[in-house]
Amino acid sequence: MYKNASELREQYNKIFIEQAPTAIAMLDKDMRYIAVSQRWIRDYKMEGKEIIGRSHYDIFPEIGEQWKLNHQKCLNGAIDICEEAPFKRADGTIQWIYWDVRPWYVAEGEIGGLLMHTGDITPQKEREKERNRMLDILDKTSEVARLGIWEVDLKTNGVYWSPVVCEIHGVTENFRPSLSTALNFYKEGASRNVMQKSLEKAITLGLPYDVEVELVTAKGKTIWVRTVGNGEFEEGECVRLYGIFQDISHRKFSEMALNKANAEIKAIFNSKTIAIITTNDKGVINHFNYGAEYLLGYSASEIIGTKVPSVFTLMEEVERFRKDMSQKYGMDPLKGLAENNDFDIREWTYIRKDGTKITVQVTISAIKNADGEIIGSLSVASDITATKKAENELLRKNQVLNFAERLTMIGNWQWNTITDQVSWSANLYKIFGLDAGQQELTYDTYFSFVHPEDKELVTNHVQMAIKEKSFPDLIHRIQLRDGTVKNIQLLAEIMTNDIGEVIELIGSCQDITEQRMAEKKFRGLLESAPDAMVITDEQGRINMINRQAEKLFGYSVQELTGKPMAKLIPDDVIAANSEDSKAFLFNSQIGELGEGKELVGIKKSGRPIPIQISRSPLKTEEGVLVSTAIRDISAQKASERKILEAKESLEIFSKKLVTKNKQLADFNQITSHNLRAPVSNLNSLLGFYKHAQSDGERNDLFQKFETVINHLTLTLNTLVEALNIKKDNEVDTLEEIEFNSVMVKTQEILSGEIMRTGAVIESDFTKLPKIAYNKIYLESIFLNLVGNALKYRSTVRVPKIYVTSGIANGKKYLKVSDNGQGINLKRHGHKLFGLNKVFHRHPDAKGIGLFLTKMQVEAYGGSISAKSEVNVGTTFNINFN
Amino acid sequence: MNSSINVCIVDDDDIYRFTMIKTLRSLKLTNKIKVFSDGEEALDFMLDNLHNDKELPDVIFLDIDMPIMDGFEFMEEYVKLKPKLGKKITIYMVSSSVDPVDIDRAKKISEITDYIIKPITQDQLTYIIQEFVGDGGI
Repeated sequence: MYKNASELREQYNKIFIEQAPTAIAMLDKDMRYIAVSQRWIRDYKMEGKEIIGRSHYDIFPEIGEQWKLNHQKCLNGAIDICEEAPFKRADGTIQWIYWDVRPWYVAEGEIGGLLMHTGDITPQKEREKERNRMLDILDKTSEVARLGIWEVDLKTNGVYWSPVVCEIHGVTENFRPSLSTALNFYKEGASRNVMQKSLEKAITLGLPYDVEVELVTAKGKTIWVRTVGNGEFEEGECVRLYGIFQDISHRKFSEMALNKANAEIKAIFNSKTIAIITTNDKGVINHFNYGAEYLLGYSASEIIGTKVPSVFTLMEEVERFRKDMSQKYGMDPLKGLAENNDFDIREWTYIRKDGTKITVQVTISAIKNADGEIIGSLSVASDITATKKAENELLRKNQVLNFAERLTMIGNWQWNTITDQVSWSANLYKIFGLDAGQQELTYDTYFSFVHPEDKELVTNHVQMAIKEKSFPDLIHRIQLRDGTVKNIQLLAEIMTNDIGEVIELIGSCQDITEQRMAEKKFRGLLESAPDAMVITDEQGRINMINRQAEKLFGYSVQELTGKPMAKLIPDDVIAANSEDSKAFLFNSQIGELGEGKELVGIKKSGRPIPIQISRSPLKTEEGVLVSTAIRDISAQKASERKILEAKESLEIFSKKLVTKNKQLADFNQITSHNLRAPVSNLNSLLGFYKHAQSDGERNDLFQKFETVINHLTLTLNTLVEALNIKKDNEVDTLEEIEFNSVMVKTQEILSGEIMRTGAVIESDFTKLPKIAYNKIYLESIFLNLVGNALKYRSTVRVPKIYVTSGIANGKKYLKVSDNGQGINLKRHGHKLFGLNKVFHRHPDAKGIGLFLTKMQVEAYGGSISAKSEVNVGTTFNINFN
Repeated sequence: MNSSINVCIVDDDDIYRFTMIKTLRSLKLTNKIKVFSDGEEALDFMLDNLHNDKELPDVIFLDIDMPIMDGFEFMEEYVKLKPKLGKKITIYMVSSSVDPVDIDRAKKISEITDYIIKPITQDQLTYIIQEFVGDGGI
């Protein structure tokens, strides 16, 4: 029963489906058709086909896997609904369908199959697409024409703006304005008033309008729009306004620009700075403006009606113009210009009415009518005499500058740091070995020339300069394309804008290679000098020094540059920057080294060095410089000292030799006189002795022999003593002796004589109490001198003897004065100290004392002298060495 | 033969003087012999006897090396004195010095007839005196 009931229900369902007005199909679990509606058959074009019992997928082999999967989901209880989807049929056509697929249940929870409800919406879809296409075309069109449409529903006050209208207003497409807000977009004043009136008329009187007004967009931009509007009336009442809307700014603006240009042209035509002359097609002048009158001095009435070439042109220039034009176009000038829509600009010389010539720039073109036929010519001329003059002046100046630059090997440049545009003067190209204008210049152009080893230096310098906004002079090397290396000096000025940003560098660039070479040469010269060289400026400040100077004074170049010369030579005239130095600079000739006085240089260590300098002025572009050659004469000094020492010792030696000679002479004297005399006596006596005839006579002779022999013995003893003095002349025999003790001893020895004569002896050794001497000699000297003073005392005066010591002229002396008989020095002076010389008929005078005294004094390099006046007294003076 | 010429010896050396006198006497050349021990003494004598030709010597044997006034000093004074003298005096310089300086100096003085180096021999002495006698025609 149950089965029957379900079968029955299935049957009902089948009938229901088959009768359904929509496309419905009933399928079993294996997707085989159980029942389909008539509409299904029609929709899928299955009329006459047996489909019941066949698989859905057999009927529609185009069904894809995705759909099959969805069907399986529905067989498990899912519902699949789709509003629209393209269904690509096996024949390639696209069918737009919607569907509702869901399962049907045999019993509670048991699915019997699927119910498919589909609809073919292809025709609606086609229509919609057609409409969209139309709209699209419309939109595109209106967009191109900047044409929009608008509509106002006066009942609801709703406003519709098409996208273009929105765009023109500068609002988004979803902007929904009211009538009043729409009105407010129009520019206040004339435009808004026009709009207001137009709208009123349209609404109240039904008058359509078409106006061009100004509108201010939401973005604040003023534009020109054309708005066309019309009202729609229902039962005599306006219910709707609609129309089109167009942005006409472009047209409007060009129109305005044209108007302006027209006005300007008019102004130009009437101005006095530009001469405008036109002719008709026959070459007859028909326009001669105020400017032409002013320029040429002719009135328009004088010229109009005459033919060109006119009185104010030079025939040779006209000929040239014609020739040029025929060369260019191969035809009549005017025709050539006209056909090529061309014009000719050149300088002409015009002759004014008063005969003066002026240079004008003239633009000549042909005037054509709308059909392109020549109807005349137009000449526009402006006086460029002043410009020309200025140009010439500029040209001349530029030439001068170029020339100057070439001479000085300087080029100039500009560098716009913002755009990195660089311009060079002609000579700069030359310096860099490039053809002028050869290439586009940038900073890198210049930088590419910088010598590889200087690139870092230049980069750092430029960066620093831009940072500091000041460009110190820079010297660096560049390497040309051909490998030549040059030294250049860059000077630059940094330009800034109002807010202090660097915008431009302008400067000059000098090729100082030769200068550098000269400098190098000079430096080489300086360095090769054997003496220390210091170059100073007029103020005595050090400019340059060579290595020798560094070595001599121990300073480095850096330590001395700019410092005063006085640092090296404190006493130097140049260093002192005195009047003397100026006098030197302007008067002096080149001095020879060693000329002038010797000076003292001060080393860095503070040690003084003896130097000799010579200097000469160097006249340079920067003024007078002074080169000073400085020679260290320490060694010279040292050897000089050695020579002096040697000389001194030689002098001493020769003195000694002289002394020796003198002594030898003395000995000669002694041997020839003092020894020969007794010997000859002995010979004589011997002769007598031989012929003596009696013993008495012989005895007498023997006595004589004895006398002679005694005399001889004394003489020989004295000689031996003197020889000993000479032999004893050794330093080690010296000892410190107090004069006073010697004096005392002398007085003791002579005490008998002193007592007998009553002599007064005084002494003063306070100035020189002691002396280093041979003690025996000093005692002997005292004894001899004091003894002599006593021996040769005056017979009428009590002897007074004064003994003193001291230092005079750096020499130690001893003086013995007496008031005795004195010696006639004029007569005896030369033999005063000779052996056996006696000057008094004194029984004890033997001429030995002073001889020995002299020996004893001279033994140690001293000297003895005497002053005497007969019957007044004698003073012996001993100078010790 | 004993001539009558005046011989004068000026020398401080008494041994020399002794030998001279003894020689002159032993050779019987003259008996008129005057001796002075230095130039000054001799000069004083001559000043005292400027016009006394009998006392003035004919020949002077003059030593160089003497105290007070040596031979050269004596000659300087003699040259001044000579014009006042009425008698021609022959002067021999006699010295033990062989020093050429002394010899040259003596030869430059025209008033000195000769320079004789001591000891003066008997032959020399005889020759001088005899020549003098012969010359003088005495």
